[in-house]
Parts: sequence; C-alpha cells; structure tokens
Amino acid sequence: MPNKKNSVREPTGYRSKLRERLIREKIGVWSVVKVVRGNSIYEGVVLPRSEHTAEDYLVVKVDTGYNIGVKITDECKITEIGYQKGDYHLPEIDVKTKKELPNVSLLGTGGTVASRLDYRTGSVLPAFTPEELFSAVPELMNICNLTPKKIYSILSENFKPEYWVKTAEAILQEFHNGASGVIIGHGTDTMAFTASALSFFFKDLAAPIVIVGSQRSSDRPSSDGPMNIINASTIAGYADLAEVVVCMHGNTSDTYNLIHRGTRVRKMHSSRRDAFKTLSDIPLGMIDSKQNIMFFKTDIKQRGNTEDTYLDAKIDPKVAILYSYPGCNPDILNSIIDLGYHGVVILGTGLGHVPSDFFPGLERAQEQEIPVVIVVEPLFGYTNLRVYETGRDMLALGVIEGDNMLPSAAYAKLIWTLGHTRNITEVKEIMTTNIAGEITDRELNSGYLIMQGIEENISEITTTLDPNPKEHYWGEQVHKTEE
Amino acid sequence: MLDPETISFEEIGFRAGLEVHHQIQSKRKLFCNCKPELRTETPDYMFERRFRPVLGEMGDFDEGMLIEYEKGYRVIYHAYTECTCLYEQDEQPPFWPDLEAIYAGYQLAHWLNCSALVDVGIVARKQYLDGSITTGFQRTLIVARDGWVEVNGKRVRISNLTVEEDAARKLKTENFGRTVYYNLDRLGIPLVEVITDHLDCTNPTDLKKLGEIIGLTLRLSGIGRTGIGSVRQDVNISIKGGDRVEIKGVQDLSMFDTLARHEIVRQDMLIQIAGILKERGFEKSHLEHTYYEITEEFPSDSIPKGLSVMAIRLPKFKGILGLEIQPGKDFGQDVFEKASLISGILVEHMYHSDELSDNAQRRRNKKLPFLFPLIDKSLDGKICDVLDITERDAYCVAMGKNSWTIHAMKKIIERLKYALDGVPQETRRLLPNGNSEFLRVIHGKDRLYPDTDTPALDLELQRIQSLKSKVGKRPWELEKEFSEKYGLKFNQLQNLVHENRLDDFLILIKDYNIKPIIAYSYLTETLKHLRRKGVNTSDMGVEEIKIVIQQGLKKKNNIYDFAAQKYLEPKKV
Repeated sequence: MPNKKNSVREPTGYRSKLRERLIREKIGVWSVVKVVRGNSIYEGVVLPRSEHTAEDYLVVKVDTGYNIGVKITDECKITEIGYQKGDYHLPEIDVKTKKELPNVSLLGTGGTVASRLDYRTGSVLPAFTPEELFSAVPELMNICNLTPKKIYSILSENFKPEYWVKTAEAILQEFHNGASGVIIGHGTDTMAFTASALSFFFKDLAAPIVIVGSQRSSDRPSSDGPMNIINASTIAGYADLAEVVVCMHGNTSDTYNLIHRGTRVRKMHSSRRDAFKTLSDIPLGMIDSKQNIMFFKTDIKQRGNTEDTYLDAKIDPKVAILYSYPGCNPDILNSIIDLGYHGVVILGTGLGHVPSDFFPGLERAQEQEIPVVIVVEPLFGYTNLRVYETGRDMLALGVIEGDNMLPSAAYAKLIWTLGHTRNITEVKEIMTTNIAGEITDRELNSGYLIMQGIEENISEITTTLDPNPKEHYWGEQVHKTEE
Repeated sequence: MLDPETISFEEIGFRAGLEVHHQIQSKRKLFCNCKPELRTETPDYMFERRFRPVLGEMGDFDEGMLIEYEKGYRVIYHAYTECTCLYEQDEQPPFWPDLEAIYAGYQLAHWLNCSALVDVGIVARKQYLDGSITTGFQRTLIVARDGWVEVNGKRVRISNLTVEEDAARKLKTENFGRTVYYNLDRLGIPLVEVITDHLDCTNPTDLKKLGEIIGLTLRLSGIGRTGIGSVRQDVNISIKGGDRVEIKGVQDLSMFDTLARHEIVRQDMLIQIAGILKERGFEKSHLEHTYYEITEEFPSDSIPKGLSVMAIRLPKFKGILGLEIQPGKDFGQDVFEKASLISGILVEHMYHSDELSDNAQRRRNKKLPFLFPLIDKSLDGKICDVLDITERDAYCVAMGKNSWTIHAMKKIIERLKYALDGVPQETRRLLPNGNSEFLRVIHGKDRLYPDTDTPALDLELQRIQSLKSKVGKRPWELEKEFSEKYGLKFNQLQNLVHENRLDDFLILIKDYNIKPIIAYSYLTETLKHLRRKGVNTSDMGVEEIKIVIQQGLKKKNNIYDFAAQKYLEPKKV
C-alpha cells in the first residue's frame, strides 16, 4: 500500500456534507476504512459513488467482495486504515504479427464491443485497447493480425453524420495501409444508419467493411461481443465480399451470426442479441460457430483491388425525419421548412401516405425545392402513391417515392445526395435509383417471413440446436497442437 | 487414513459453518414478472450459450472463474413459455426488483438478530460460468450482517444475509461433461442466503442442529417457500492445519455427519501427504510440465483410433497417489477427478503408477478401468524407462484426444504442486457415500462486481425497522419453552412447525388446558394417519380439533380410535 502522504485522497462522486467530511478527514476513493455506526462495524475499500444517488451514503467494498452502502450520520466514525487502489486492466498480452494471417483493422467508435464499468455513474463505459481485446478474446490471435484503433469513444446515440465521414476516411486509410478488411466497432443503437451511410460513401469498394457490436456489454460473462468480433474478423479477413455489412447474432443462441447488407438492416428489438434483421429480403449470408461462411444471395459484390476504392463522402446533414401518425400536426413540417432544412424523409402510413392537411406544407417544400422523400411506416414493402387519391395528390406536390428504402437508408442517402446537388431533378433521380442495395427491384416471399410463435412445427425451429458445435477452446497453446 | 468413526472433533480442530439457500415465498421472480414455478414437461424452446470470465471491480480475474472458463462448457437451456421470459434468456435488462422479497430478507435479518442492516440496497453481480445463470452472474443483494442464532446453548454467528436470484436447474451433461443442460424454470426465483461463521460449529451434531434451526426460522417467519428443492445447504469445513472447503448443495441434513467425517479424514491425509513430501525434500520445481506421448508403447490397436496416451513423471511421489484419502478412494482419484472435470478426460482413462499394486483401491472393484489390463509389469517398465523414473518417483498416464490429454496433464501437475501446501480451498460436490469430488476452486471476491443495470435501491428505513415487531419466538426460545414447560423435544417442535400446527398446539394447551403430549400427538400423528386414509385434514380448525380431543378423552380415553371412527365411519359415532 502506498504511503498515505504520497497519494491524494479524492472522494469521487460524493456530494454535499459527506463530501466535505471525507475531504476534512482525508478519506477518498480507494481508502480502506473502518466505519463504526452504533453496534455495526464495516471495513472495506471506499468505492466511487454514482452522482445520481442519495448523497449521504458511503459505499465500501467489504472483504467478501460485496459492496455495501452505509448511511453516514454524525454519530458514525470513519477511520482510514489503509489504501488500495483499484486498477481496471487486463493482463498484457504480447501480440506478434503472423505472416500467414490477413491484416485486419478494428476501428472503435465506442459502444459495447468492449466496455468497462464507470464508477461515477454506475454504468458501463466503452474501453478499447488491443490488450483488452486479445486477453478477453484470445481466439482472435489465430484468425488475423488485428490492429485495433480508437477513432471515437462515443455512444452510438450521439453519432452525427459528420462522424460517418470521419469514420469513412479512417477506413480508407486502413485499406491504403494494406488491410484485408476493416471492422467498425459500433454501438448498436444507430449501427444501421452508419452502415447505410458508408454503403453510399465508398465507390468500387474492394474489401469488406464489417460493422459489429454487442447487445450484452462485454463486462458480462454472457456477452455476445466475443463471438460477434470473432465472426467479424473472419469475414473481414477471409470472406470474398466487398460490401458494407453488419455482422450480429442470428438467433438467441451463440451458434451463428447473420451477415446483413448495410442498407437493408434494421435493429428490430431493443435488447435481444438477434435484434438485427434484414428487411424485405434475406441476409447476404451467415457464419457458423466454427467460422464457416455461407452466402445465400448471389448478387454479392466480390473483392477487388483496394487501390481502385475511393471515397465520395460529401454530405449535407440538414435533413430531418418525420413520422406520419394520426393527429400529426402539419406545423412540424412547416417548422422544418421555416428552419431552413434542405430535405425531409417522411415515414408515410401504409403505402406512404400523409394526412391531407400536410398538403400546404408539401406545396411550400415544392416551391422552395426542398426534396421530400417518402418511405413506408410499415418498414416492409414499397411506397406506392398511385393507388389512392391521397398518394396521387402527394405526387402532384412533388414528393419523391422512396420505394422500399428503409428510413435509415433514405435518411443517409438524402444527406449524401444533397452533399452533391440541390437540384431537385437530380436529387429525385439519385434518390430513386438503387446505388447500394437500398432499393430492390423485387421482393420475395422469403423477405417477410416473420414468425408469430403460433405456427405449426414452430417447436422444431425453436428447439433445434447447433448440429455441429464448435469444440471447446483452451487458448493458443492448444490451438497450435491441433493444427 | 484416520478411522472416520472414531474421530475426536476437538483434537482435530474441526470447524464448520453453513450457507443456507432458501427460496422466499413470493408472487413473482426477483427481477421479472414470471411465475416462480417449476416445469418438467418437454421444453417449449431451447437455446445454447458459451461464457467467458470478466474482470472484477478491482481489476483482477478471479482464479476460480478462469478455471471455470477452462472447462469450456457448451450450455443448453430448456425454456418454458409459462415461467421464462426474455429476462431469464438474458435478452433484456432486469425489471425493477420484487421489493416484497427484499423486505422479507430484512424481516429474516431481525429473526436472526442481525445488528448491521444495510441501509441502501446495492445489487451486485456474482459470476458463475457453469451456465447455471444465463447472464453469467447471479444478481445478489446483501441485506444484513452480524447476526446470531443459538444452537445447543451456544451462539453461532451469522456473518451475512443476502437476497438473490436462484439459479437454473442442471438436467444432465453430455460429451464428457462438456455439454451441460439446464432447466430455466428455477432461474430468478428469489432466495435468501444465510451465511454462518465457518468457525463457529465444532462438531457435526451442532452443525446439523444449526441447519435445523435456520430452516425452522424460515418456516416460523413464513418467509421460506416450501417444497422439494426449496432449501440447499453448502457446508464449510476446516480442520487444524487444513483450509476451508465448501461442500456444495447438500439437501439432506442427515448427511452432515458422514460428510463431515469424510472431509476430516481427507484434509488430515492431505496434511500428512504435505509432511511426507517435505520429508522427502520435494520442491514444487521438481514437477515439470513435460508430457510424454507414449501411445506407441502400447500394443498396437489397443488404443482407440484418434486417441493418444500421455504420461508425466512425478518425482518423489512413489506411494503417495495410492494413499487412501477417503473411504475406498486414493489420493490419485482425488487428483484425477479435478483434472477430469476441467479437461473432459474420463477418470477411467487416467492411471497412476501406484495402481500397479494388487492392493490399489480401484483394483478392489470388480470393474477395472480401461488402462488397467493394458499396463502390466513389462509396460510399466517401459514407461519408467521413457520417463526416467527412479525408485522414489511415480508417474501418471492419461488417454484421450491429444489436446484434451495435454490439458489434463497440466491440471494434474498443478494440483500435485499444491500437495506440498496441504489442503487447497475448493468447492466440492457431495457423493452419495459421503465422499466428495472437486467442483471448482473456491470463488473469491474478484467475481463480485456491481450490477450496472439496477441503480441503488433506496429502501424505506422505517419499514425495515417496523418489520422487527413481526418477529415471534425464535426456534431456540421455543425449544427451551417446549422442554421446560411441555416436556417436548426439539424434533417434536420441528414436527409441529412442519405440520403448520404450532399455533393450534399453543391454543390447545393454553386456552383449553389439554395436555401437551396429547395435543402434540393428535396434531402430528393422528392427523397424519387420517390424511393417509384420505381425510382432508387441512381444513380442520383448532375448534374442531379441540372438540374431538375432548370428546375422545371423555368417551374412550383413546383419542386416536375416536377420531378414526368419527372421520372414517361417521355413522357409527
């Protein structure tokens, strides 16, 4: 234990009276203290306190490992009897480059592929060092030479279109440095938006860009992150694929991941591992627990020469998304126009309709040449504004039919398009032309097989286990002897 | 080996304590709204997972957790629509905890005289990588410390009282124990864990009584759920010079005596072994991680295809692995059981050089393990040559898939190095004959870290205090009252409580002046007999019972016959 004089005591997270008292008594976080309250005695390490909780509690970690909150009253006696700083780190691992393995870069943007506890708020914060990654997931060392780099450390809900551009620039740099593939570690909330944007930004993409995250944070033994990153590394290093894809769990088991096209993927559940689904189509492929890759689609762009890849990431982020709903006030659309937005994506009900009291607003947008792109609120299926009168009126007011673009894809695409032109005819032309799989020319029955849990034979599906599970893994030494 | 039957507990320095896990009576599970019910039919759905250790809050991997990870389990869950939801599936964050269950924990704390009640509920995560909990950690909440109960006139300290979620039920294992099946129904049912100081019981009789006292407290307080599997006990045992060993999941209190004796002889023998090794000048560095592949030494075709045999040299170990450590089991077995659990190599596929002797424990059984008929004197000589075995040395052999075998060898060496230190801290599983086998390294504090999904619970301090008024007479107080006032024994008190007839008993003797032994035998034996004959006794109130007893006393002076006649042949009365 360090000498008391040499280490400063800071009662991190403690407030008001208790904080003053701790400072007065020279007790801080990591002090080993003895708290006497009436007949009770607590001995343990003072932990940082969450700023959002009651202010008169001291939290100590007692010898059994439990954390105990003690209400500190004037009668309590607190004495420092030692100091023991907690140090969150994983054992360092000496990582050697192996010539026979592909080079893959992992660009971290935050999120929970890797994360650690934050004592201040009591929640989970992203952590991202090569050491952490490799000691937590040693299998990675046998798949590829993985170079992790942190480009941001932000939660995905705080992402902005500008970050898509910076991310794209960082990716291009990695390709120029010889990466066989790039993985983006991303928070899952807005992962699909980034996937769409990157799909539009890259021209003649020659290698995979795999976006990955975890729905259970990596500070949990049950995290889906390790398998997701192992599978993403395999795709980035080996798959004959040159698209932006999302690689996340395919079902609730740790048995396979799905490979989703960036413009067709959507987060469809707030918390499940298998939240990510391809909408109105089937996924590009899957990767099983032994890292075998199988493709289901035949229109997959194959690897090429990375020197041909270039970035076209001009954007205009002044775009809004509007949701059409019963009672939706046209003021919202008018405000968007008044605020000087350059484009609007509207999730229209059914085939893409908005209430008819929106028409004056749409007319204003038309006059000011602000593109209004319609996608469907049902998420599956195409817009069609020729079936009903409302739709025909909307077309007459100049709205652009987004076909079966997902809202996230339409939003990213409009931002990207407006970065190139504000000419309404050109915008319309680009928005209605398929660029990166965001619009398909047909939808198959298999693109909408949403099970409801009552189908006959469903138990066959829900009770089927991995027929060929991966054998257990003890680390590198064992892996070598098997080869 | 000591004779288990003639141990002097005082001389050997026996110390023991309990960790009692008892389910709480509740309407819902602790962190979700599923019913706390068990299921046995075919599962509605299944899924599978794998687990990895994570860092403890102080920045360390828990050693026990790393060993758990080495086992590399593939975990398969059986799930039921009726009593499991996405929470048990670890597919969503917890709902707000069932505060009723948590307050029940505080109420129990009052019953157990805890002086330190925790003011703010902090949910912690306790890692389990065996798959028994889908998250990989059990959500647990300490509610009180520093209590006591009285056992045979002595105070036994209660060090901790926690409220936590129960784990899933293990169904079976496959693939040499590498694939584990669990039923998810039990996961999340609230339970209290009462931890007694593991130094306070000095003999098995007290230990058993302690279990009974705690069990009775849960019944009397109305906090405990009843039914099969609602209580499980872990027993902590140490002896002088030994260390704390936890014997896990004991459901039957009557096993305490045997298991305590068998653990004592084991620890005593491990201490003796450490002494012998020291005498022989053995040092840990003498054991080297050098594994010899000796498949070729075996007759061709005797070893199944794809498997290999490996051997390790154990300097200065001659005779040690053959020492009997628990009745019918030698030290070698104890080591093999641990290596087997972690690596997946069967104990039957391991062999040590002391087993060449006709006297070897496993040779006394009629069924000889696989390697035994193959290793004769001449092969033994060859192996000794390969490994350079001298007179004082021993060796171990294991057969299996190459990588698994290496792993087993590694574990054997690590365990034997520890032999010099005596008794390793372990969690062990009780076997039906009272022996035990390795389950895991004892879990340390590094496996605990705060739950980030549930903010600290600000509980109502007034309500916690007011729960004290609900505390009734404790079991040891009742025990005294029963023996002094009514001439009844502790087990008779237990019977009344288990029949839910304690209150009726007290009314009968206090308000109606019925003799205690008559009231007792009617409420327990007579009612039980009537129930067996098909009479619904649960609706019988104290008034009805009083009348039957009084009439029986008057008419025949044989209450049992009278009651039988009244309920079974009502027309005759």
